[in-house]
Amino acid sequence: MSLVSLVKIPSASSYPFREAITKAIQRVDYRFNSNARKVVIKPNLCYYWDHTTGQTTSPQFVSELIDLIRVQTSPEVEIAVVESDASAMRCKYAFRMLGYEKLAKEKNVQLINLTEQESTSVDVALDGNVYTFSVPKIISQADLKINVAHIKYTIDPVKLTCAMKNIFGCNPIQKKFKYHPYLGEAIVALNKAMPFNLHLIDNNIAAGVQPRKMGLVMASQDPVALDSAAAKIAGLNPNKIPYLKLAEKEGVGKRAYVAVGEPLETFRSLYPKPTFRMQTKKRVKRTLVAVGLGARMGLE
Amino acid sequence: MKIKLGIIGVGGIGQLHLKHALRLGNAEVYCVADTSKSALQAAKALGVKNTYNDYTEMLKTPELDAVIIALPTHLHLKCARDVAEAKKHVFLEKPISATVEEAKEVIAAAEQNSVKLMLGYPMRFNNHFLKLKQDIENGVLGDVENAHATYVCAGPFVHRTDGHSPAPVPDWWFNPKQTGGGAFIDLGCHIINLMRMLLGEVVDIRGQFGHRYGMDFEDSAMCLARFTSGTVAAVNVGWYSQDYLLRLDLHGTVRNASVEHMPPASVSAAYQMLRRGITTFNQPHLDELTYFINCIQNDTAPSPSGLDGLRDLEAIYAAYQNRISL
Repeated sequence: MSLVSLVKIPSASSYPFREAITKAIQRVDYRFNSNARKVVIKPNLCYYWDHTTGQTTSPQFVSELIDLIRVQTSPEVEIAVVESDASAMRCKYAFRMLGYEKLAKEKNVQLINLTEQESTSVDVALDGNVYTFSVPKIISQADLKINVAHIKYTIDPVKLTCAMKNIFGCNPIQKKFKYHPYLGEAIVALNKAMPFNLHLIDNNIAAGVQPRKMGLVMASQDPVALDSAAAKIAGLNPNKIPYLKLAEKEGVGKRAYVAVGEPLETFRSLYPKPTFRMQTKKRVKRTLVAVGLGARMGLE
Repeated sequence: MKIKLGIIGVGGIGQLHLKHALRLGNAEVYCVADTSKSALQAAKALGVKNTYNDYTEMLKTPELDAVIIALPTHLHLKCARDVAEAKKHVFLEKPISATVEEAKEVIAAAEQNSVKLMLGYPMRFNNHFLKLKQDIENGVLGDVENAHATYVCAGPFVHRTDGHSPAPVPDWWFNPKQTGGGAFIDLGCHIINLMRMLLGEVVDIRGQFGHRYGMDFEDSAMCLARFTSGTVAAVNVGWYSQDYLLRLDLHGTVRNASVEHMPPASVSAAYQMLRRGITTFNQPHLDELTYFINCIQNDTAPSPSGLDGLRDLEAIYAAYQNRISL
């Protein structure tokens, strides 16, 4: 079983994230490789929604993580914050709008749009099929890869966006919607192709069905275990999320975990979940669309 | 006889105009033009028979009477001039253009070619705002001392709460040379236009502009304006919010009045769509097109006119110049 830590972000601290991240990684027995010279950090940038919406990683979180990495490795370590263009998002605008350009200047780190980087083609065998993906060289050549994810709901049947789905964002292809028919398989394949050393969750603001201050930092070396714990927090059953089952089968990690730190239940009650009313409305909408009334009622 | 209508640009607001134009009783959508194949396919799916990749080809159609222009702001002048020179009446999306000089050229092109020019300001056709105008004129509010207008939304970005997938934002939105500015020109022109309808011309205006997202354009503005009626108004606009709000508060010596222009709740919207095929939120869009077609048929001058668009733009640029630093 893998360790998953949960830490409440301290409210009275000059460096709240740094303190919380330090505790979180200590609790999962992770030690930075002091010889690391090239570090890649993958935050979760989603469209142009800022961190107050709970949809994207706070630049402040990444800033304090950078400080910590430099203390634990070397002040001269090369750090790159990476993201790729998406169907509706361009990195050149997202980096600027979401505060990452300012962060890069202040912390002297590189901002890398993976879509514009050199990549190598990698075949990944998965459940009897072979999937081909491009792996950016900056990721394959990094000594230390850190994933900073967010807990969010996403399309069925994947249901959950968290650590493993954030690695899907390292896929340099811009039109990622083409993977939607087999999104679960693509997520697992990319996690196999690009294993990261450390997975963190910045859930200071939870996205859920509406943003809510939650003050949670999580850490694990196992993305499957981390996503399983995150699923519980979001009110989902990890055993009913197909990509987690597949990931375990493919050896990416284990669904069984040991939670250390704050009790998971504390955060589970804070996470903004869909209400019965919301779920009913969604079902009614789906039914109306299915019977052909969607367009007439402006639902499509 | 039905007016034959063409639409140039059928993405975003153009598609909204198309859907409403297809409901007009006194006009038919004769053709549309767009450089995007998918936009043209979507128009065809809605029932438009004639589609063009190049709008100049569309303008050669002799049957065409009038054209709705729903293009990015920096293309307004050239397109409006081409349409006017082709002797077609012009319905132009707001803002009239990216600069005051260009706005004057748009008006001149319409005048020289004796075609009608109307600006797309749907709020002018919202019944609640029209009632407010009547109340002011009838002295129901007394003298309107102060006004406060708020228009905040996600601007060109998709609202997280929309329940829709994020949509790409075209590059021109990020270029203030092409848009003329940011949130203030985009949203502020609606508010300035509405306030000019209610309170008279802008006498003085000053603005404080915010750059939360660090872009080359303002994503918020808080302006103070004085109107010929003597009213001093605070205008608050922003592209920073995931929560849509368009609200106007007037404070008179006799009464206060507040009006909101908000999308109805989802259940109510679905009911309105089922019953009338249009929501109360979109009704002003349909009404402004109906009015434009009536102006052509009855040979009357449309309002808001090109001059209205110019006055709005002059006020906006005055605010850009008279910056307040806080």
